[in-house]
Amino acid sequence: MPETVSQNGGYMVAAYIITAVILVVYTIVLARRTRNKHY
Amino acid sequence: MTLAQRGRWTTITALVLLAGIYVRALRFTPVELHQGPAQKIFYLHVPSAWSAMLSMGLVGLASILFLLLKDARYDRFAAASAEVGTVFCCVMLTTGPLWARPIWGTWWTWDARLTLTLMLFFLFIGYQVLRGAVTDPGLRPRYSAVVGICGLILLPFIHLSVYLFRTLHPMPIVLKPSAPSLPGSMLVTLLLSFGVFTLLYVGFVMQRYALGEGAGDA
Repeated sequence: MPETVSQNGGYMVAAYIITAVILVVYTIVLARRTRNKHY
Repeated sequence: MTLAQRGRWTTITALVLLAGIYVRALRFTPVELHQGPAQKIFYLHVPSAWSAMLSMGLVGLASILFLLLKDARYDRFAAASAEVGTVFCCVMLTTGPLWARPIWGTWWTWDARLTLTLMLFFLFIGYQVLRGAVTDPGLRPRYSAVVGICGLILLPFIHLSVYLFRTLHPMPIVLKPSAPSLPGSMLVTLLLSFGVFTLLYVGFVMQRYALGEGAGDA
């Protein structure tokens, strides 16, 4: 009988979304700070 | 092209590559049989931990060089690396509990690895609070360099904590004396992710360093 894979994909999706949000938000923050410095 | 522009393009390139990592990890890397899909958090958690530790390592080295050479560029680099390291530490400290919950049955446990990693996060925060609190431009770099060196000293304890103490956290599977203990496709995804997170670190630091130039830093 084949082993069943755990159904915990929600945690994976949450981790991938949160990582993307943190990194993209920081990218935007840096871009805005750079723009504010120059103008 | 200015440093800030080069940093922005490096960051954008890294983010596009990160999207590629997402596709490879979620679509083309096999699901681990025992842990299920949650194991794929590994491809973000471990590289973000690497980038956080790289950040603090370079903060510490730049701090030593600043104290030895009194060159303000090292202090500016340390400040940039500390801020970027805080971001990667946030990724590590959010993805870790999200992986731990389904596998260990708890979001957090006060074992050596996790507690020392939390200390690393507090050091990053403390470093920046200190820089904001000390207004004397002569004292600020020196005080913050001491915190940066404390962070550098902490790093080997974090890495070795799984060997030195009983802990739920798994042993290193790549950065260890013997060969990596991962199937080939998983290892390739992990190594690619290491590369992308390192490139992200470089792009972020270039931009943040450029912000400090001519601004007396902060």
